[in-house]
Amino acid sequence: MRHARSAGWLGLTTVIVSLVFALGQGGCSRPAGPGNTSGGKADGRPRIALVMKSLANEFFATMADGAKAHQATAGNRYELITNGMRSETDVSEQVTLIEQMVARGVAAIVIAPADSKAIVPALKRAADAGVLVINIDNRLDPEVLAEAGLKAPFVGPDNREGARRAGEAVAKQLDAGDEVAIIEGIVTAFNGQQRALGLEDAATAAGLRIVARQSGQWEMEKANGIAAAMLSEHPALAAILCANDSMALGAAAAIEASGRRVLLSGFDNVPAVAPLLADGRLAVTVDQHGDRLAVEGIETALAILAGAAAPEDRTTPVDLVTGKP
Amino acid sequence: MSAPAGAVVLRAEGISKAWSTPVLDRVSLDLRGGEVHVLMGSNGAGKSTLAAILGGLVPADAGQMTLGPIPHAPRSRAAAEAAGVVMVLQEMNLFPGMSLAENLFLDRLPSRFGLVDRATLHRRAVVALERVGLGELDPRMPLARLGVGKRQLVEIARALDRRCRVLILDEPTAALSARESDLLFDHIRRLVSEGVSVVYVTHRLDELPRIASRVSVLRDGRFVAEHLGGNVAPGRLIEEMSGRASPQGSAAASAPAGDVVLAVAGLERGARVRKVSLEVRSGEVVGLAGLVGAGRTELLRTIFGADPASAGSVRVGDGRAGLLRSPRQAVAAGIGMLPEDRRHDGLLLGQSMRVNALLLPGQPRARSGWIDRPAERRAAEAIRTGMEVDCTSIEQPVGQLSGGNQQKVVLGRWLAAGCRVLLCDEPTRGVDAAAKGTIHRLLREFVNRGGGVLLASGELAELRAICDRVLVMAGGRIVAEFERGWSDEAVTAAAFESAVPTSVEKAGHSS
Amino acid sequence: MNRTRLGEWGVLVFVWLGLVALFGTLADHFLSATTLTTVASRLPALAVVAAGMTLVIIAGGIDLSVGSVMALSGAVLGVAIVQWGWPLAAAIPVAILTGALAGLGTGLVTVGLGIPSFLVTLGSLEICRGLTYAVCDSRTLFIGAAIRPLAQPMPILGIPPTVPVALAVVVAAQAILSRTVFGRHLVAIGASEPAVRLAGIDTSTPRVAVFVLSGALAGLAAVFASARLGSADPNAGAGLELAAIAAVVIGGTSLSGGSGSVVGSLLGVLVIATLEAGLAQLGASEPLKRIVTGGAIIAAVAADALRRRWEGERG
Repeated sequence: MRHARSAGWLGLTTVIVSLVFALGQGGCSRPAGPGNTSGGKADGRPRIALVMKSLANEFFATMADGAKAHQATAGNRYELITNGMRSETDVSEQVTLIEQMVARGVAAIVIAPADSKAIVPALKRAADAGVLVINIDNRLDPEVLAEAGLKAPFVGPDNREGARRAGEAVAKQLDAGDEVAIIEGIVTAFNGQQRALGLEDAATAAGLRIVARQSGQWEMEKANGIAAAMLSEHPALAAILCANDSMALGAAAAIEASGRRVLLSGFDNVPAVAPLLADGRLAVTVDQHGDRLAVEGIETALAILAGAAAPEDRTTPVDLVTGKP
Repeated sequence: MSAPAGAVVLRAEGISKAWSTPVLDRVSLDLRGGEVHVLMGSNGAGKSTLAAILGGLVPADAGQMTLGPIPHAPRSRAAAEAAGVVMVLQEMNLFPGMSLAENLFLDRLPSRFGLVDRATLHRRAVVALERVGLGELDPRMPLARLGVGKRQLVEIARALDRRCRVLILDEPTAALSARESDLLFDHIRRLVSEGVSVVYVTHRLDELPRIASRVSVLRDGRFVAEHLGGNVAPGRLIEEMSGRASPQGSAAASAPAGDVVLAVAGLERGARVRKVSLEVRSGEVVGLAGLVGAGRTELLRTIFGADPASAGSVRVGDGRAGLLRSPRQAVAAGIGMLPEDRRHDGLLLGQSMRVNALLLPGQPRARSGWIDRPAERRAAEAIRTGMEVDCTSIEQPVGQLSGGNQQKVVLGRWLAAGCRVLLCDEPTRGVDAAAKGTIHRLLREFVNRGGGVLLASGELAELRAICDRVLVMAGGRIVAEFERGWSDEAVTAAAFESAVPTSVEKAGHSS
Repeated sequence: MNRTRLGEWGVLVFVWLGLVALFGTLADHFLSATTLTTVASRLPALAVVAAGMTLVIIAGGIDLSVGSVMALSGAVLGVAIVQWGWPLAAAIPVAILTGALAGLGTGLVTVGLGIPSFLVTLGSLEICRGLTYAVCDSRTLFIGAAIRPLAQPMPILGIPPTVPVALAVVVAAQAILSRTVFGRHLVAIGASEPAVRLAGIDTSTPRVAVFVLSGALAGLAAVFASARLGSADPNAGAGLELAAIAAVVIGGTSLSGGSGSVVGSLLGVLVIATLEAGLAQLGASEPLKRIVTGGAIIAAVAADALRRRWEGERG
């Protein structure tokens, strides 16, 4: 009995240690300056934290790589700490990360929020502690921001406009009255909602009929199952519009399995869709220049810190990437 | 609380109960104030079911019960206890991870402001434990540290602490040593003198003269006979329980002892087993006597490699002397073991008799990893016949078999494995008189074919019936050896005398 | 024993037919060949993982790492084909071996240090996911044509070749469980490990082996999943362990070990896959999907418990 109990503790300790390691890996990409944590500046350089969603999502992996490259080439003007979470949706983990970054005395947090609302109070606390907050990628809810009294400049693409243009590109190849389906992302995320709205805008404008609309939770596997079900339930389906490329990959496999010709759109332009674009299985995707996104956020932060710019929103460019017709 | 002696306290009339087959058939029973009413019968006679009905564990299909003037129809054990009828279960109903005190008072923890009042709890626990002679144990100690015997005492203490008019004990001494049983009997007598009535379920004939005011015998769910007082001729009781003449002198005279089949030298395991050396010869049954905690179980487990030894050596037959590091090595060397806790360590209760009987390394009936099913069935049938296992078929789960039949399955497994030495730990605990005789006979046949048996038992009568020699253990050592013809007093004295001087080690003292 | 088994399976088949009838009425095109294909292609990965999980649970353990192990094997498969240019026939064994090695690690730690497998696999779940991201650099690998033959429906049957392979695995696992000494020992260890050890049987080897098997089957599942999606997703298999455990439990295997069947788990997988396909075709909202799936798990387990009680009363 006693033996079993000590074995239990041993197990627990093992798990905790491995968890700590797992988090540590995703933690700082660069050791802190020696013994200097005052005012968010190490060696006089501002310390900037980039807080993202899951680094397992290649969109954010790309974003992190872009930021690191920028930091290295920008002549060490600033110190960079990149952080990601283990899962896309774990809000509490991101809150913890924000608190840790404040504790490490960063000058600015550049954040891609996991949730448009729930993360605001934590950011407000950070701002109260004197940390500049820059919002990238997924826009924080303006009402909640106003209520919390937090000013966080948004630097990022217009997701709704990007999605609308992708939808428009697909609609051009269809006739009014054709059936289309939408696979949206996580419905609680602002960018997910915006993209779904944009796709809807395009479909309505072109007179297409939206016969199915479900959430693929941003995931390939889920989207695959949903797309398969949509295809069998709607024999006349002409296009599937997806809110990201992971889900588009899943839908592409389902379309292929059905042996039908259905147009497909995505969002993000991840490298894995390149072959699909090349042979036309993916009609269009949207490149919002993820690698540039974080860099834009960091540049904005640096400018504001240096007093060279006013804290206001900036829209970054999005481009359509079309496949072989 | 006290009823006038002799008046009927609890009356049951025409009680019937059927599971898949009838278990009780119109049985009636009177329990008078201040008496110990013993229910006797072999396994399957229905005595435990009757006790369970009285104690509210199972409802009767037909019949009425009255407790004094009022009808007694408890819907649960708790309801029966509220009415003053408390039952101690044969299957222990305790929580190993909790402290003794918590186990004793789990359903009525004293509390202040919603928090457990530990001081009161422990004070009451000490009182309750003293009642069963465990007063020196720390009530904060987890139950898991106690052996089976002491756990049974805790369970009894839990029942005794309740204000009860009727106490039902279902084979309470099955797991107790002789001294613990004595203590229990003292308490029962004291309770009876206070006016409590006791229903006592047992199949041990030797307990009757010491405790019974009245004996009722059940057989196949029916009432067979009633005797006043505990001095009933054993032969007559066996006849009534079995429905046939008793098999007298089951332990046949032993064959002359042959070569050494098991030699243990200087075996040690911490403070539990200390420099034990012994020999078992072919044709010999060697007994291990001693108080609970003397180290009998630990010695057997250490020989078998189930617990790691720190020093010493074990030799089987002409094999190499050395330590057995695992039961696997022990079995390969030709040793088999009937563990103390047969239900947990010996059997897979949910599995069939066939699976259990052939649970052996390498599965002898297998061809290159695949089980040869017809051969397996034949082997299981052979064990069923050879061991006289009473089961509906070889596919019946062993959990449904009686204790005696379960033990025969384990025994049959080792005989089928062709082992030379058997280590038996309380082989007939919870086994009825008839099955006990069969098991003793099978063990005797085994040694007569050249095997050797080392048998630990807390029951002196069992050691007398079957053993050629008896070794007495105390404090992890072998302290005395007796040839046939020993007296109970001599063996008990040896166990105690050696235990007392070494009472520096708490184990010897508090057991 | 066999009668009980058939009764168990009967209940599941009944539940499944009920689902098919229900969705057939509610959704327009549910009873069609496409739906069959959809369910059939969802089946293989979950079925082989559930088969491994069944054996682990029967032996008294649990494997929470299957989802991550599947992702890791998938990543290795993807890297081997896309980056190293290996042929599929060479990459598949490597993927399966990867899973087996992960299982070996889990098994050795569990048995060697005597730590409950629940905790060890909680750790290996993290470790394998981390390794997955490291192997594929957190990027989805598009495999494409190289793996397509496995996902292409076969002529006449209309189902991809992964389905018969998965069914063969299930049948083999059931045969191992009920016909071999190894299987017998797994059941016995799950019922009472001390009793098996005291019977002189080596319990360590089967306990490690069952985790190796579970890992290898997760590796095989990775091949199936990659074939279906045409790519290797580093986030694949998140929550797969729960789906597999649900299927195993629905299939009538006792979570405390010592009894159960692989065929039952397959029926559990069938129920889950049908439920998923049906709800998606109905266009059910995400909250409703989760509520219904959870309710179905409880209902299936409750039906099984009621059946047992009923049979128990009849004796």
